[in-house]
Amino acid sequence: MAHEPNLLCTLSDSLAARCAIAKESVASVRLSERARLGAILWRNDVLVSSEQSLPGREALEATLPDGSRIQGRLAGRDPSTNVAVIRLERPVSAPTLAASLPRTGALVIAVGSDGEGRASARLGTVNSVGPEWHSLRGGRIEARIQLDIRLAASEEGGPAFNAAGDWLGMTTFGPSGQILVIPAATVERIAPVLAASGRVPRGWLGVALRPVAVPDELREAAGEASGLMVMSLSPEGPAAKAGVVAGDIILAVDGAAVRRLRGVLAHLGSDSIGKPVSLRLIRGGGIIVIEATIMEQPPR
Amino acid sequence: MTQPAARSRSRSLRVAIAARDAERAAALRALLESLGHLIVTEGEAADVVLADEELPRDEERATVVLGGTDTDAQGLLPATASPAEIDAALHAVASGLIVRSAPMRTPGFRAARESEPRLLLTPREAQVLDAIADGLTNKAIARRLGISLHTVKFHVESVFRKLDASTRTEAVARATERRRQETIDL
Repeated sequence: MAHEPNLLCTLSDSLAARCAIAKESVASVRLSERARLGAILWRNDVLVSSEQSLPGREALEATLPDGSRIQGRLAGRDPSTNVAVIRLERPVSAPTLAASLPRTGALVIAVGSDGEGRASARLGTVNSVGPEWHSLRGGRIEARIQLDIRLAASEEGGPAFNAAGDWLGMTTFGPSGQILVIPAATVERIAPVLAASGRVPRGWLGVALRPVAVPDELREAAGEASGLMVMSLSPEGPAAKAGVVAGDIILAVDGAAVRRLRGVLAHLGSDSIGKPVSLRLIRGGGIIVIEATIMEQPPR
Repeated sequence: MTQPAARSRSRSLRVAIAARDAERAAALRALLESLGHLIVTEGEAADVVLADEELPRDEERATVVLGGTDTDAQGLLPATASPAEIDAALHAVASGLIVRSAPMRTPGFRAARESEPRLLLTPREAQVLDAIADGLTNKAIARRLGISLHTVKFHVESVFRKLDASTRTEAVARATERRRQETIDL
């Protein structure tokens, strides 16, 4: 059928061509009879997917881009960056992914799979690109990337690409239905560690904390308006061993005020394990300092 | 005795059952009968479908799924849902609402938030709130915490203001949601 080439046709054809290439990097993980999750064919024997949406079991079945089924094993998961890796029972052909940082306003294509080897695609723009951020679970994410697309539950965990076909990262559901991208740089940093050892070592104090206001009468002495109250302790954790008790209000970790959680998390990276740390806290109306030794976070 | 909540839900519904085997179907049938609903068979008009584990393929009627994961279902409850929860879900879904139980809602991957100190509760206010959650009156709270009734009222007022709540129930609900979002493991 003859038609005059125009910009729209060219755009449309280019998008379809991009999807055809992108599809070769998309797998689909079976969660139940009807529920599936997207995944990225990251290495020839490793899939990367969204940690928050994967079940607890280890054995998983995936569908490859050609529609064939393959067995895999959940080889590692990191809730702090929402990255999980699935080791395939045998190597398959995986295209090389060229990573790139997105630009706000640029076109983005998010690709999923229907579980039969057919692709599904979403087109939108990069809604915003923010600086490095820390998740609630304490992970460092290289950039806060939000997309203005919709995503089906079965498409989460798939790859997002820019117009040049560069890989931007893994799509994931953020708060209030936001669609976020875990940047390729984060996946490239975390996935090799997970594939090798099953987990990402993190510094650990062994406390569950809740932000509280410092009572008025202690504000001046504390020098802080808020702190983190210890709700519970792991009996074998560094904080418990050092004598921290439930009800203590932590004000600072090694001089970093807990008001700025980023500063505290920076003190609990993988290089912190085994190092001493000073905890400044409120107990019984006074302020005390307790020394603890950071341990490696045990597996959940 | 008046029971407004019970009365508003007392309408009996026509419910179709979709279960994986006869044993489960019988269990669901018994449950629905105990709730006073009318069980309809295939081909009869139904207000709502109660399904077991899976959303039946090509089911276009409003459906409550027990113990499933399919987010296409209008109603999605854990397999452990109580009869009262199932009854409430059937009525809501039959009325065109979408039902999820709170713990199943995935909050999404989120950032560690820096709290606004002005809106944080002090440890004492948190104790007062826990007592409110236990259903205690101000007088009982004063006894439990060993403080004056006047002080309790002062704390309750502060809790309401910080949580932007106007009733005790609302304050407890807001605090529970906040706690879920704010608890940090280090």
